Amino acid sequence: MLTFAGSALGKEGESIRRQLEHFQAMHPGIRVDVQSTPDAADHRHQLYVQWLNARAADPDVLQLDVIWAPEFAAAGWILDLDRFRPPVDDFFPAALTANRWNGALYALPWFVDVGMLYWRSDLMSHPPMDLDELRQLAARGMREHAIPFGFVWQGARYEGLVTVFLEQLGAFGGVILDDHGRVAVDSDRAVAALTYMRDSIHVDAVVPAAVLTWQEEQVRLAFQNGQAVFMRNWPYAHALLQDPEQSRVAGRFGIAPMPAASGGAPTAALGGSVLAINANSGDSEAAYQLIEYLLEPAQLLERARIVGQYPPRPSMYDSHELEDALRVVPSEARAIIEHAVPRPATPVYTELSQILQIALHRGLTRQLEPRAALQQAAKDMRALLARTELGATQP
Amino acid sequence: MTRRRTIAAGALPRRHEARLGWMMALPALSVIALIALGPVLWAVWESLYLHDLRMPWLGRRFIGLQNYVEAFSDPRFWGAIGHTVAFAAVSVTSELVLGLALAAAVDSMMRGRGVVRTAMLLPWAVPTVVVGLVWRFLFETPGGLMNTMLVRSGATPPIWFADPLAAWVPVVLADVWKTTPFVALLLLAGLQNIDRTLYEAARIDGASAWRQFTAITLPLLKPALLVALVFRTVDAFRVFDVIFVMTSGGPGTATETIAMYTFSALLENLRFGYGSALSVIIFTVTFVLALFAIRLMGRRALVEPSS
Repeated sequence: MLTFAGSALGKEGESIRRQLEHFQAMHPGIRVDVQSTPDAADHRHQLYVQWLNARAADPDVLQLDVIWAPEFAAAGWILDLDRFRPPVDDFFPAALTANRWNGALYALPWFVDVGMLYWRSDLMSHPPMDLDELRQLAARGMREHAIPFGFVWQGARYEGLVTVFLEQLGAFGGVILDDHGRVAVDSDRAVAALTYMRDSIHVDAVVPAAVLTWQEEQVRLAFQNGQAVFMRNWPYAHALLQDPEQSRVAGRFGIAPMPAASGGAPTAALGGSVLAINANSGDSEAAYQLIEYLLEPAQLLERARIVGQYPPRPSMYDSHELEDALRVVPSEARAIIEHAVPRPATPVYTELSQILQIALHRGLTRQLEPRAALQQAAKDMRALLARTELGATQP
Repeated sequence: MTRRRTIAAGALPRRHEARLGWMMALPALSVIALIALGPVLWAVWESLYLHDLRMPWLGRRFIGLQNYVEAFSDPRFWGAIGHTVAFAAVSVTSELVLGLALAAAVDSMMRGRGVVRTAMLLPWAVPTVVVGLVWRFLFETPGGLMNTMLVRSGATPPIWFADPLAAWVPVVLADVWKTTPFVALLLLAGLQNIDRTLYEAARIDGASAWRQFTAITLPLLKPALLVALVFRTVDAFRVFDVIFVMTSGGPGTATETIAMYTFSALLENLRFGYGSALSVIIFTVTFVLALFAIRLMGRRALVEPSS
């Protein structure tokens, strides 16, 4: 008897229920129940913490947001998976890094989300090579084609802003935490990245100031209605934008890695879900069998087809089946995933992110200069990491 | 007369009566202790510990007043206190002024007062979260109704929720829109209790409408005004839902109130000790406010002869 907790709504619910039925048919000794959890990440997190902190034996298998894995691992709430000898070479390395804590692996990636640049193929022949070109093309599109916005991204004060910043930061060669787990978010490169973001709103005016209140959906709607030259968004937007029923840009856009500035590298923020086992599970062997089954290429392919999520196994990106399932060119998607960078792996990620969100938003809404905002964030982050008493966290 | 009876009844039965009284009150008192006093004391106890659900390896250490020291030396805490006080001052003042105007208008109506009184309460009946969402849609950029109207009339509205000052406008408007009816109703009850003959006498003496208002209405309405003031101030000090829905405390932390900050420490970051310390601070402030107000009202009730 196993319990699976995760997204069980809409298409995701439809997909997981079918997969679990099939799994039970294959393993007559194992019964699996689905425990539906809230779709809002914060609420699900809170619920999981309550259960696991109370040492509940249910649910056995948990769908976690990738940023929670180190937190749950450090707390001793989820099992070290190395004992099952998972096929680690079959996954994108960045997607595994995010699941390691103190050198051990605590979760396996179920699907990967990556931040990518959506560009209008009817307005230009190729995506921008660097951030300067992106700004020029955005300005030209606005001028010559009377498009109201040059570039739109998620700028509200929430987790999405951190992922956008992570990409711009990588583009300028900066990091949030360095290889030794030390806070580096007040570096000159980080200041340059935040200044670039702020100036593209308030100086170059290629990014509308309204993005400072926008999340994924407002951004998608702007691009989908043909109001933006470029958009930063996750893969989920792709299928919706290709739907001529609702989209004005169907067939007139492409995807590409977010370009870099000089001194940095194209960077995609890594998101997605991972699967982990409750440390108090009564039957961890069966729980791992379930995870193994859900991560089989055939199951991942079915999920890609029904839900539109990118599989974490690079080998699948050579197949035509994936192209049919996702309706993107797999090599393009793979090129973006290979630039993926996980967010800092620390048990206090949510609070670290909150500190950063506040600082970024203050900088972007011109309450503080970028350097002052990031120095404040760095100071608070250092105090937070010191409070964990873990020394420098693991990279 | 009562005095004579107590003397006649003697001390013993009286003590007996008192004991009976306590016994009768005991069930109610124990329920209050269980659901009100217990959690408060527990929060006070918890606030003396380092207790962070995300970091079980730190254990649950007794750290004395460390959590309070952290709060009082945290600029975000003082920012939140400042925002809360400013929000309470502006919204409660507006609600009292508008509520009084509304109450006076309804009070002077000859017909249909009952219907208006019921209709007036509608905003109060809408859940705060819904009110917040509606007002957020009105001020959203682009596409919000308010924005569209302002742009059409030639103005350039700010990006409301990305501007540290402008973000307060929709928040305060939503709160005032929702709670003014409640204040108005309280004041209307107060107005209707004022003896009409006082106004007649004043008119005969040739007092102007303004003079009647300041010499009769305001002094006699004071108890009702105080009740409204206390209720609204305590509510405003704990404001959470309308801000959570509309701005989540942003931009940056420009609209973060003390209750929002506590929520973030307690439920987002799962810092139970520190969050409890913040809750205790909110509780203390509101409790002192309430005590102060009760004393103020109590004295007034004693001083003022029954009119």
